[in-house]
Amino acid sequence: MRLANLSFRYARRAPWVLQQVDLDLPPGTVAEVTGRNGAGKSTLLRLLAGATRPSRGSITGRPPIVGYAPEIFPVDQPFTVTAYLSHMADVRGVPARAIEAWAERLGMTPLLEVPLGDLSKGSAHKVGLAQALLAPPGLLILDEPFSGLDEQTRAELPGLIDEISTAGGIVVVSDHQNGLAGHPGVTHLTMENGTVLAHEHDPFHERVTRLLPGHDRSAAPEKSIIEILVDHGDAEAVARKLQAEGYEARVRGGGA
Amino acid sequence: MISRVATAGSGPVRPTVSLVRFKIAAYVRSHRIIQPFVGLLAIMIVLYSSRVALGQELPSYADSAALLVPVFAWAARGLLDTEPDVQRLISITAAGRPGREVVSGLLASAVIGGGLAVLALVAPLVIGFRAVPSTAVLISGLTLHLLSLLTGTALGALASRPILPDPATSALTMLGGYVAILLVSLVPFAWLTVPLIGWMRAAGRPSFLSRSLPELSAITVFWCAVALATYIRLRRTRP
Repeated sequence: MRLANLSFRYARRAPWVLQQVDLDLPPGTVAEVTGRNGAGKSTLLRLLAGATRPSRGSITGRPPIVGYAPEIFPVDQPFTVTAYLSHMADVRGVPARAIEAWAERLGMTPLLEVPLGDLSKGSAHKVGLAQALLAPPGLLILDEPFSGLDEQTRAELPGLIDEISTAGGIVVVSDHQNGLAGHPGVTHLTMENGTVLAHEHDPFHERVTRLLPGHDRSAAPEKSIIEILVDHGDAEAVARKLQAEGYEARVRGGGA
Repeated sequence: MISRVATAGSGPVRPTVSLVRFKIAAYVRSHRIIQPFVGLLAIMIVLYSSRVALGQELPSYADSAALLVPVFAWAARGLLDTEPDVQRLISITAAGRPGREVVSGLLASAVIGGGLAVLALVAPLVIGFRAVPSTAVLISGLTLHLLSLLTGTALGALASRPILPDPATSALTMLGGYVAILLVSLVPFAWLTVPLIGWMRAAGRPSFLSRSLPELSAITVFWCAVALATYIRLRRTRP
């Protein structure tokens, strides 16, 4: 799947949300999108999902089956979990037995007859995940997938993402909670000023590539160093939070 | 569990039809259908509280069709607004293409409006008309209500939340649009808008079915096609 010279804005005179983004997501890619609020993460996810068309440029090679799990599942719908997932299975043309299999795996079998409006945030999130997985997705888009999930399902997610990528699927995850920390082979995509910075695997030990045509590293904005002193035990957590926001952060000193 | 990545696409009909069923189910279960039904009921009471004189069946049907435009618009807007914004994104990805979600919304609105139109056609046969009118009158009445349904669906779609997120602006646009169509159709130039007044005026003439209805239908279909094309165009950047 390839994004070529992609730009997007919501109206003709509106500011550009994304500008001239080139991005290659080969089969099996697991990409984690980070960036500050308003950086355009959700817009990028919608463009990748095919829900929105680019203003300029193109997206080619999108797999035919796309699963999209939103950050906040819309529970304001007059269905039980089973009725809702049955409708979604029908739209995707998959048999209803797929519902039971995913309900069991995501630990939501007792919830199947519960109205959507009565679900907790975490349970609703599982329904959002289940509907995205009903048909084996060639492209799975997860918007903040770790938000509100119980420990069991949080632990289940990385394995699930691996299964999809191993089968040749592309997984794109927007993640503030650093749920994929330590996950091998993750491509980090940082949204910044309408562009996408791709960090191959580990942002602090691998080459940083700006994916803006004709934009080399010498043209990158100047960097400043901010010293933040924290307790040794909190250092890794603070660094991860900053990394999730799209900043380069590394821990120095060992508490000696 | 995930053994392979599917590569084959699916045809456009099944996901679209399934989405139509999903949207209708959501609309009916949300009880929003009561609102346009009450509107329909009020118009039926006004039109048929006293028996229609013999020979005046077609003008009654024309009045009914012109008055029901905002009811059909209300039904279409209500149906399209029932689905939460995020669910529309889910539906688009489930259906495979944004166009399928847009078309399924319009089709679902037409199905709901069609049910209301059938009630509007049958109710006078039971409570309003003194005798069952001729086939020509029934066909003319059916055509007028289909034109009304088309006009209302287009108006409701343009006032729906993806296009006009503010509920007050949406309601004012929908009702204002209907009033504007009524006022503009008062002028002698029939091609300026959907000729609602033209429907009512022409229905009193004896040659309505053969001479007036084809022209009125063509004008109505043209303007509705423009409105629906605008809606579909706007939805490209408003998923």
